[in-house]
Amino acid sequence: MMERDREESVDLAQISLRPLQLSDVDDLMVWTTDEKVPKFCTWEPYSSKDQGIDFIQNKACEFLWSRAICLHDRAIGFILMTSCSATDQSREKSVELGYVLGSKYWSKGIMTYVVKQVKKVAFREFPHLERLEALVDAENVGSQRVLEKAGFHREGVLRKYLFFKGKSRDMVIFSVLSTDLNHQD
Amino acid sequence: MSNLDLSKISLRPFKLSDVDDFLLWAGDDQVTQNLRWKTCGSREEALAFIRDVCIPHPWRRSICLDDRSIGFVSVYPWSGDDRCKADIGYAVAADYWGQGIATKAVKMAVPQVFNDLSHLVRLQAFTSPENKASQRVLEKAGFLKEGLLRKYTYFKGNIKDSVVFSFLSTDEFPHDDSWK
Repeated sequence: MMERDREESVDLAQISLRPLQLSDVDDLMVWTTDEKVPKFCTWEPYSSKDQGIDFIQNKACEFLWSRAICLHDRAIGFILMTSCSATDQSREKSVELGYVLGSKYWSKGIMTYVVKQVKKVAFREFPHLERLEALVDAENVGSQRVLEKAGFHREGVLRKYLFFKGKSRDMVIFSVLSTDLNHQD
Repeated sequence: MSNLDLSKISLRPFKLSDVDDFLLWAGDDQVTQNLRWKTCGSREEALAFIRDVCIPHPWRRSICLDDRSIGFVSVYPWSGDDRCKADIGYAVAADYWGQGIATKAVKMAVPQVFNDLSHLVRLQAFTSPENKASQRVLEKAGFLKEGLLRKYTYFKGNIKDSVVFSFLSTDEFPHDDSWK
């Protein structure tokens, strides 16, 4: 199935979101062991299946909300939301979006399609939510384009906002407000 | 514009004996309206606030005129993986507004802070979009305005936009004649 999909465009109707399960571990290992994937993430590529099992069993459930991104019900990526109040009590009306996709599925419009859906889910699932935001490494142009195409507003660049993998990162901050949704698709 | 000799402005840690001067500005709604602080209602409250918050604070200094407290500058570093950044805040007694004191205090604080907080790379400040005076302080002190963060934070019961500024350990300090 993976061979056939590699060079072809994907029928977005075959993309679905569902909770990540332990049976997804082999599919999860495809994107977590791929060096290209966590390039702009705080985590290093996984080197053992135990890490995959640990993520599914112990880490995935800690997020405010998360789903496996599936193609024909096989996991090809992951999308999550975390509450901003975890680090700042004044920010309980804000939620941060994060996502990752296997590199063979990049540049096919999948992530934009998924983010557009999740944007609507976020404000439905959390009725008091005012602001959905995302922070993207300034060098990660692909991910910035996903958010722009999905209707997020680019607010600015936070210089040297994060430090990981031995260097400071400029982060572009994007947001969409509950009031923005009324004027969009 | 200013009769004040800014060389009389100094920064130092708070002392309990600052309480009466402290109450003059920390008890003034005009001063605290843009701070997360509750206005101090009594000498006892002021004393407790100095003792329990200002003195144990990771980095808080009294802005002094001839060694009398007329305001504060605070820097609060984030922890763990985020200790590369810290938030700066400040206020000056209303009687002393418009004379470049906050700008001078921030300019004095910035190099001290980068010296004192070893992991610090980014000093950031958040102001309300309406607070133009505070934005000018940051600009004159050499901070870069990065953007407007919409509905970013809860402030005294209301969701507010924030304008975010930063000064990096690698940024250059502005020349001293920037406020003349």
